Amino acid sequence: MSATISDSHLSNHDGNGPLLELSGVRAAYGTIEVLHGVDLVVPQGSVVALLGPNGAGKSTILKVCSGLLQPTAGEVRVAGRVINGATADQLARLGLCTIPEGKGVFPNLTVRENLWMATMSGVSLSDVEEIAYARFPRLGERRKQLAGTMSGGEQQMLSMARALSVNPALLLLDELSMGLAPLIVANLYEIVAQVSEEGVSILVSEQFARTVLGIAHYAAIVLHGNVTRVGTPAELEDELSAAYLGS
Amino acid sequence: MQQFVQYTILGLVLGGVYFIAASGLVVTYTTSGIFNFSQGAIAMLAAFTYWQFRWGWGWPAPIALFVVLGVLAPALGAVLYQVVMKNLRGTSEVTKIVVSVGVMLGFLALATWIWNPTASSPRRFQKFFGANSIVEIFGVRITWHEIISFVLALGIAAGIRFLFVRTRSGVAMRAVVDDPELLELNGGRPERLATISWAGGAFLAALAGILITPITGSSMSANALTLLVIDAFAAAMFGRLKSLPRTFIGAIVLGLTNYYVVAYSPSSWTWTSAFRQSIPMIMLFIILIILPQDRLRGATVLRTRERFQMPTMRTAWIAALVLIVVVFSLQTIMQPSPMKTLAYGMTLAIIALSLVLLTGLAGEINLAALSFGAIGTIVVFHFGTTGTGLDSRMTLWGIILASLVCALVGAVVALPALRLRGLYLALATMAFGVFVSKMVLSEGNPRRLFGRDFTIFPGGTLRIPRPQVGPVDFNSDKAFLTLVTVLFALLAIGLVAIRHSGYGRRLAAMKDSPAACATLGMSVVRLKLSVFMLSAAVAGLGGVLMSAQLGAVSAERFDIFLSLSLLMVTVVGGIGYASGALMAGLFLGCSLIAMTNTLTKLNVDYASIQAIFAFMISAVTVLPATIGITMGKNPSGAVTDIVKGLNDMKQAKPLMFTVIGLEVGFWLLTATDVLTNWNFVILTAVNLFLVPPIGGAIMKKRAFAKFGILPPTPAEFIGIDRPYTQGDLDEMEIVLGLDALGVAAPVLHEGEPAHAPA
Ligand SMILES: Nc1ncnc2c1ncn2[C@@H]1O[C@H](COP(=O)(O)OP(=O)(O)OP(=O)(O)O)[C@@H](O)[C@H]1O
Ligand SMILES: [Mg+2]
Repeated sequence: MSATISDSHLSNHDGNGPLLELSGVRAAYGTIEVLHGVDLVVPQGSVVALLGPNGAGKSTILKVCSGLLQPTAGEVRVAGRVINGATADQLARLGLCTIPEGKGVFPNLTVRENLWMATMSGVSLSDVEEIAYARFPRLGERRKQLAGTMSGGEQQMLSMARALSVNPALLLLDELSMGLAPLIVANLYEIVAQVSEEGVSILVSEQFARTVLGIAHYAAIVLHGNVTRVGTPAELEDELSAAYLGS
Repeated sequence: MQQFVQYTILGLVLGGVYFIAASGLVVTYTTSGIFNFSQGAIAMLAAFTYWQFRWGWGWPAPIALFVVLGVLAPALGAVLYQVVMKNLRGTSEVTKIVVSVGVMLGFLALATWIWNPTASSPRRFQKFFGANSIVEIFGVRITWHEIISFVLALGIAAGIRFLFVRTRSGVAMRAVVDDPELLELNGGRPERLATISWAGGAFLAALAGILITPITGSSMSANALTLLVIDAFAAAMFGRLKSLPRTFIGAIVLGLTNYYVVAYSPSSWTWTSAFRQSIPMIMLFIILIILPQDRLRGATVLRTRERFQMPTMRTAWIAALVLIVVVFSLQTIMQPSPMKTLAYGMTLAIIALSLVLLTGLAGEINLAALSFGAIGTIVVFHFGTTGTGLDSRMTLWGIILASLVCALVGAVVALPALRLRGLYLALATMAFGVFVSKMVLSEGNPRRLFGRDFTIFPGGTLRIPRPQVGPVDFNSDKAFLTLVTVLFALLAIGLVAIRHSGYGRRLAAMKDSPAACATLGMSVVRLKLSVFMLSAAVAGLGGVLMSAQLGAVSAERFDIFLSLSLLMVTVVGGIGYASGALMAGLFLGCSLIAMTNTLTKLNVDYASIQAIFAFMISAVTVLPATIGITMGKNPSGAVTDIVKGLNDMKQAKPLMFTVIGLEVGFWLLTATDVLTNWNFVILTAVNLFLVPPIGGAIMKKRAFAKFGILPPTPAEFIGIDRPYTQGDLDEMEIVLGLDALGVAAPVLHEGEPAHAPA
């Protein structure tokens, strides 16, 4: 049932091995299995979008990749190394950056303290602040404000600032658009595109299929805990508008 | 003036020590979201350990200090977090409170075990450098110990603030409360931070314990020392468990008030000393009144791990009937003394029922159920009896009045805390409990009230007669046991009826999400208030009956630690069920006593192995706390498991009839004096605990033989005893309900809304 990206197809892209690779990954919450053998590849320097209806398992895939959820079967490989069993904090220090769904900030810490937490992956605070405030001047104005009191858009800027400043090899983004106005979403994805141009590989889960397909190199359709289709946005366009977007 | 300076300095010192204890609370609450009720007990343990090293064994002070503060206390904190508190993620506030209360009770039992409270020579705990190393400041004499205490408090205040604001680890500790997963994604280690902070919290508690013991000059009593540090709760609350500066102010005010009351209260106030001891709890109460309302949060308790099923009315009636029949038939074969014990347990079960109502149905907590019992008892003593001497009886009106008064008192206690979270209500009830113990139950002497002499608790003991209703006299042990059993059964049925009513469903809804209820237009406060009053009335009723059972009660019968034990045992039994209350009452009222009695008797009979029995007696007293501590792993209580076992037995009719038949046989033999009571108990235990599993195993074998199938390998041995097969995998899918979820058939519906509305 699950579809695989053929290796040759991907390595044609830039000639390097994939940065992230899931093979036959199963994962469960307690006794309920929600991923039933996921195969997925994120080639070096590419943007891969996970698309699918609510509850399909997109966030769960990202949780497995980030180390928050241990797979019950299968393998997760980052840059060729099997990372099953590695904890989220170890992976974060190895250069994996995850922006979780909805709430990428600590609401009771100030903006500056939030950025300080980002330094635990091994960058210096002055660097993080410099990059963050340069990209989002709004954050610079509010460095003393509690993150929880900022608007949703500003909070999302703050969590993106972390992604920009910690220099990740692999960036995992979950639902950047959650609860945000379309304009802000478009802005955020512009930034994602720029990050990707710097050579960072990105796996992103998104409901706004149109926005993300604009910058994605590949898209994977997730249904009921399986990756059912993988291809370039152009290949998937028809299928998406027919079945998935219902338009 | 001189006196003012003297008392101010002493007050500042005491306030400083309060702050040290309170800051420990803030640190652990900040990183783990758990309010550590055992803080006082840790302080107490540290004080005792320090005493042991320093004076018991004569170690030099620096070494003793280093071992207690530098090694043992932090290790205790870290172990406590790793073994107990870590498991509390995702449990409800009730479980969190009960587990840390369980730890407190465990430490208390441990301390009385190790350091015999009735030691021949009193333990003397001296100040640092002795009581005579004194300096004069502003013309008043202060010991070095006091100076050290205050300076340490200032240093710790500055240090913690620095840690939380200026260091990355400190900021990360605050981040852990917000979102431990996100911290992990940032590359932080939440578990390690929480462990460190618990080690730090225990260190601060220990320091406070060692400093405060000689300052207040109190004797080395485990309970008193524990309560002493619990006083710091008020200071921590003033800082809303967050702000250190406010905690500091709260602590200092607390310390100063304490000494100013001593210095300036008129000498005609005979109650100054009791009042002084209650100041922290009175302040806690006032703080709860003035605290601003919490923001209602939506999904705070949605994902708790506790699960309770609702019994049907029919089950409730049958269970009640069975209970009455069982107790009735026991009663005919029982000697008077175990009958008294059983009746006592039953009255405790009624009090526990008030907790089931409050906590199981509405998710609120009362830490001082027995204090309501005390209020009820006092009311009945003064207004609810007729006749004198042996002919005196409790009247029905007296019982009703007592319940009503308890309901009203309950309203007064709960009202300030109802708009706040459950933890605050718990603390308010605890403040009430300590207040009742210290200020009401200590009123043994006459006092002029409204121009009339009146003694609330004459002579420290109240004689409470058994009730008589109309022509029915419940004075005999048998009649009284029947009365309390029937009452318990009726109240239990009432409880189930409430659960099935609209009111019960509103309570359940409120327990799940106060925010959602408020948005639906329910008055959450009115709902909480009504259920609290109802529960207080039941607690009062139970307390009155308990006093009537005992005949004469002293203040210790209503001790706050007893209330805490009862709550804990009820939660262990299953706070969602009336049967949980029954188990709790019987366990606390009967089993513990029975076990201790048996062991004590064996102890006398077999003097040669006395040490072993002495050990077991002490171990039994620690037992409830030990069980309570494991709650984090199984928060729904023991009843859930037992009910499941009973249901299994219902499937196996022959087995059920065997057990019942055997039991009836034993009863007949005992009734005809062939068996002694003692043998009856042992045989019953064997019958209930051994026959079902053994019989069940035999029946299963038979069934397999009959139908010619192989007995299945238990799931955990599949893959070990024999290899996995496709069939196993299929079965697993069925067990996991994958089909039911529709995962097996990925069908895409047309027009499925796939993107958020833009
Ligand atoms: N913590 C959890 N415990 C139990 N089940 C969970 C948990 N989190 C997710 N699930 C279940 O796992 C399945 C997949 O959830 P997941 O969050 O991965 O979906 P998703 O594709 O991200 O959906 P959405 O687009 O709504 O974010 C769902 O059926 C969900 O109910
Ligand atoms: Mg999701």
